[in-house]
Amino acid sequence: MRRRRSIVTSGPRTRSPHAGEPRLGLRAPRSRAGGAAGTPAVGDAGAPTGSGRGIGSGTGARTPALPAGTAPAGSWAGVPAGGPVSGVAAAAVDLSVDLAPRRPGRLVLRNPVLVASGTFGYGVEYGEVVDVERLGAICCKGTTLKPRTGNPPPRVTETPGGMLNSIGLQNPGVDAVIERYAPLWAGWQVPVLVNVAGESIDDYVGVVQRLDGVPGVAGIELNISCPNVGKGGLQFAVDRDAAAAVTAAVRRATDLPLLVKLSPNVTDIRPIARAIEDAGADAITAINTLSGIAVDRRTGRPLLGNVYGGLSGPAIRPVGLRIVYEVAQVVSIPVVAIGGVGALDDVLDYLAVGAIAVQVGTAIFADPEVPLRLVDELRAYCAARGLSSHLPLVGTALPARPGRPSAKGVEYRP
Amino acid sequence: MRLLDAELVETREILPRQWLQRYRAPWLAAGARAGQFVHVRTPDYSGLVLRRPISINTVDRVAGEITLHFRIAGKGTELLARGRPGDSVPMLGPLGRPFEVDPRTHHVLLIAGGLGVAGVRFLADESLEAGRQVTLLFGAATAGDVYPSTLLPDEVEYVVATEDGSLGQPGRVTDLVPAYEAWADQAFACGPSPMLAALAALAAGRQARLGVARLGRKRGTGRPVPLGSPQARRRSWLQVSMEQHMGCAVGACLGCVVWGVEGPLRVCREGPVFAAEEIAWEEPA
Repeated sequence: MRRRRSIVTSGPRTRSPHAGEPRLGLRAPRSRAGGAAGTPAVGDAGAPTGSGRGIGSGTGARTPALPAGTAPAGSWAGVPAGGPVSGVAAAAVDLSVDLAPRRPGRLVLRNPVLVASGTFGYGVEYGEVVDVERLGAICCKGTTLKPRTGNPPPRVTETPGGMLNSIGLQNPGVDAVIERYAPLWAGWQVPVLVNVAGESIDDYVGVVQRLDGVPGVAGIELNISCPNVGKGGLQFAVDRDAAAAVTAAVRRATDLPLLVKLSPNVTDIRPIARAIEDAGADAITAINTLSGIAVDRRTGRPLLGNVYGGLSGPAIRPVGLRIVYEVAQVVSIPVVAIGGVGALDDVLDYLAVGAIAVQVGTAIFADPEVPLRLVDELRAYCAARGLSSHLPLVGTALPARPGRPSAKGVEYRP
Repeated sequence: MRLLDAELVETREILPRQWLQRYRAPWLAAGARAGQFVHVRTPDYSGLVLRRPISINTVDRVAGEITLHFRIAGKGTELLARGRPGDSVPMLGPLGRPFEVDPRTHHVLLIAGGLGVAGVRFLADESLEAGRQVTLLFGAATAGDVYPSTLLPDEVEYVVATEDGSLGQPGRVTDLVPAYEAWADQAFACGPSPMLAALAALAAGRQARLGVARLGRKRGTGRPVPLGSPQARRRSWLQVSMEQHMGCAVGACLGCVVWGVEGPLRVCREGPVFAAEEIAWEEPA
């Protein structure tokens, strides 16, 4: 595995023993060009060095694992380290995506790999081991109006091909988030999307009003998989009208780019996705976790303190692909895919079913370097195929006539 | 904290289903302190999405090596136990906050329940190095699970209790503690949660039972020390190393909390070592 020497680690090692408080020292914005990303760390003998060329793509010349059946061998698999024989140079591949086309220039990401809410904290926790500035964007931990202490432990457990979590939206509240983290985010090149959660429409609007205009907040990702207290605890995400209402209310409250994160725990996602688009969302994120339960075999009782948890990881990827496939056909706004992304193949699959960007979540826990590796591998893949952008890969698996809901999808639904 | 590949040097089963593995990891050996842990990626990635948090058992700073002591508790640790010398194992660490020993402490009491010895073993070395006297109280269900004394430095006084009475004192390790509470300047414990809760209850009544003023310069007269700070922990008689199901191990996912008196505490960041007063203990059964 490649090691990058992160510039961050060259800072003072003597951390404040108050390790609970992340180090908030502002790092000078780094030039994206240069060898830092391609310089293998000490003790990395034998690893292929980056070509040293390229903008933020030290591994751009590395040949990614060949996805079976996706490319004729020889077209790019044998690209020498010095540069591709055919196609375009990796450095020339433009992976940028606009996640809010209705607000031109407001949320243009340098690359289509985001880190998912809840898996990357506020962007500072992994700062010592990941160069966060090279990410496409960061979705921060779910933020509510008032501080929340979250659910009783245990909160996470591993399951076959995935994990269950029931954190319960533990967070210090929007005011503390703005005070502690926004000044830091404002100094970063990487956009930070604040994930917003609430128990009523007023909650959501209150959070978003406070975030509106705060430097460092690049956009809003609306987590609507929360129980709506006003409607007897029914989740906003499972009710088309409630989902539309909260989206519209937030839309009125802010001009920030607005992403809405869909829940997979619904019978038919398409009317909900359409309603959210009509209510003014700039983009859709799909999917949130699937609801699940684990049992503690020693006690015979539910393992998680909250009984219910959200399933994430490779296990849910087929569900995510299906939902992105369905959503991408009925909306015209960008779809950001999330659900079990851990390798280039997964990114390509999600692009094929209509997503223009992906979020990496659970895979970060096993290997924090996954998101940046995916950026490099996608760049190399595009370069080897002669593509100047990944956008031609988007939607290749969708039915020929775009805009028409797939009748087949309905027939074959279980 | 750093991501690195550690090379497995030696691996052996020291107790039934408990393994001691020695890794070459100079970065960890140089920087780690007693109480800290590493987040280990298990060798077979198919289907396993989480790393495994494992206490740093001992370090050899000269050789640049660390040892990990773990029990096979599931698929991940089973795969880890199958590792062969020469294997490269990705690790993230050192993580968490270490034990805080008061500079004036001479008598260090270590209390371990079963595999909990892995959490305090490193502190025995550190304390001896600093010229302190160390007693390790160890509790297990039966003689077959007792940590081998050959793996401890000679200078450590080693007292064993087994629940079935097959070795050492019959009973639980917590029963051994009262005999040492006056001797010990500080105690450090790792083990099952009920054991730690029982020790915390013992520690809470200790000062009243002993009825002695602390010797030395009067402490606690200046600024109040915030709960959870290193200073506060250094003053605490009992520090415990806690376990919890863990996700990211860097404080991002908030998965590994235990409940403290002031709200949830992340085992990976605020812990794994806590002063006993910080934790909201459930009533011991």
